[in-house]
Amino acid sequence: MTGETVLVIEDTPAIGRALRAALEARGYHAVLAMTGKDGIDAAAVSDPGAIILDLGLPDMDGRDVCRRIRTWSDVPIIVLTVDDSEQRKVETLDIGADDYVTKPFSTPELLARVRVALRRGRAVDGEPPDPILTVGDVVVDVPHHRVQVAGEDVELTPKEFAFLALLARYPGRVLTHRAILQEVWGPEYGSETQYLRVYASQLRKKLGEDPSAPRLVTEPGVGYRLVDRAAIPEP
Amino acid sequence: MSRSRQDRDVGNSRRPLGRVGATLVGVALIAGIAAILIPFRARTSTATDALALVVPVVVAAWAGGRIAAVLTAATAAVTLEVFFLPPYNTFKLDLVDDAVALGVFTAVALAVGTLVALEGERRLLAEQRAAEIEELYEQQRHLLDAQARLAEESAYFQRLGDDRSALLRSVSHDLRTPLVTIKAVTSDLRDGPHYDDKVRDELLDLVGDEAERLDRLVANLLSLSRIEAGSLTPERQAVPLDELLTDRVRKLNRVLRNVRVQVDVPFTLPLADADYTLVDQVVTNLLENAARHSPDGGTVRVRAREHDGWIEVVVADQGPGVDPADRDRIFEPFRRGEGSTSSGVGLAICRAIVEAHGGSIAVQAGDGAPAASAGHQGAAFVFTLPVHRS
Repeated sequence: MTGETVLVIEDTPAIGRALRAALEARGYHAVLAMTGKDGIDAAAVSDPGAIILDLGLPDMDGRDVCRRIRTWSDVPIIVLTVDDSEQRKVETLDIGADDYVTKPFSTPELLARVRVALRRGRAVDGEPPDPILTVGDVVVDVPHHRVQVAGEDVELTPKEFAFLALLARYPGRVLTHRAILQEVWGPEYGSETQYLRVYASQLRKKLGEDPSAPRLVTEPGVGYRLVDRAAIPEP
Repeated sequence: MSRSRQDRDVGNSRRPLGRVGATLVGVALIAGIAAILIPFRARTSTATDALALVVPVVVAAWAGGRIAAVLTAATAAVTLEVFFLPPYNTFKLDLVDDAVALGVFTAVALAVGTLVALEGERRLLAEQRAAEIEELYEQQRHLLDAQARLAEESAYFQRLGDDRSALLRSVSHDLRTPLVTIKAVTSDLRDGPHYDDKVRDELLDLVGDEAERLDRLVANLLSLSRIEAGSLTPERQAVPLDELLTDRVRKLNRVLRNVRVQVDVPFTLPLADADYTLVDQVVTNLLENAARHSPDGGTVRVRAREHDGWIEVVVADQGPGVDPADRDRIFEPFRRGEGSTSSGVGLAICRAIVEAHGGSIAVQAGDGAPAASAGHQGAAFVFTLPVHRS
């Protein structure tokens, strides 16, 4: 894991310096850009494994930076935003960000998200995806339609299985309601979030969820993510 | 439409004399004319007498309207018959000619009287209309005035609301930015990896700097609330500006670490008659502003001079400068430069404080930058303070 480059696009010098120190202390190579334009250039030149992108940049809208980078790169992008409205979060994910963290943030939590993003980035690079998905103690065997939680088999309906497998394919990452509905139910779906609430609650029962430390995390108004309970520190 | 009826009544009472008054005047005139003409009635023709007697009818018609005209015409006819048609002083007619003359006289008197009265009514009506139109126009003008006042007031409250939300936006942004750094660093120092001492000190300095930035922001907000409450009154004392300036530059050393600061104050500079804390705040805001807009390694020059009985203080940077068109506006609250991360209240507070001392503040083109950063003309903020007279 050492030596991977993380690009930080952030215009507030103090936050940039704090993030650089935190990344370097963990063995990453940190590249700092203070404007959107410099950030786009650095994304092209420094070949980062992940990008931390502040949405409030002086020269351009952070979402445009995200869109621009997405035109040629699939690098994981974690967005920093002060706007914690659900609509803004959904928008951000829809334009291709992988995750978002609202300011003020806890650095250890942000860096846990960075670790997840880097792992996903490597998984995308290594061609055929592993048919057996493992997120913490949840193991999803896609070819055999089998799910194990903490070594125990769990029976799931086909829809429940598809829902869980989708989340397990992107561990730690928020998937929006729309993305899940279209993937699991079909392209004509998109606004039927009540289905998701029903299936999420069935899945939680079957996974034996502890509400204080869930694996299947609800992002209110935005979507769901499946997390490795051991890897994500509490904010 | 009770209004128009009321107006008509007003119109009637606005005739020169009332009906009764006009009739009495008509009768009196007839009596007068009769008294004058009776001694000569044998020598005057009936036509002359009749013509003379039409005059009171016309007067009564003009002054009292149709009814007065008819009553006066009747009186005139009787007078003509009794006093001017033989046999005199009787209500008898000898000649058919005279009967015809009396008939014609009565008809003519009535016709003339009615015409004059009608004309008078028409004139009165026209006057009434004119008055009504005038009144409507007046009312409309009041309405328009009221509407304009309302629009003005609503624009004022709109502006006030805009200012309020601009203030809230910039204050929450400004409060949050240091807090983001403080939370990011402290969370990492507590739960993150072990940092070596040098990096740890650097991180702690970041927290310290941001805490001080918050402190300055709170000071600005307190001043802003005093300005808004109208309670910003300087507690004047003799202020040695050389000490104030060098002390403030020293205290802001971390804010100013990317620039070189030159302080140039002649030892002959008189004391300023000013509130130390408030002037210190002006200098702090201007230095912070200069550091924010300076290129790395640029020079910030601070000068003070006596000029025309005032002390003139200049804080000049080598940043991009202020466009001439914006040089007044940047002292308005919540004006931040493009892409600026400041709250936009600092310069407004500077102006309020300087003006509370009777001085003035302005921005000019600065000293310019070294050739390396061409295009950076720099900005020079100049403010004045009164000299202390002991």
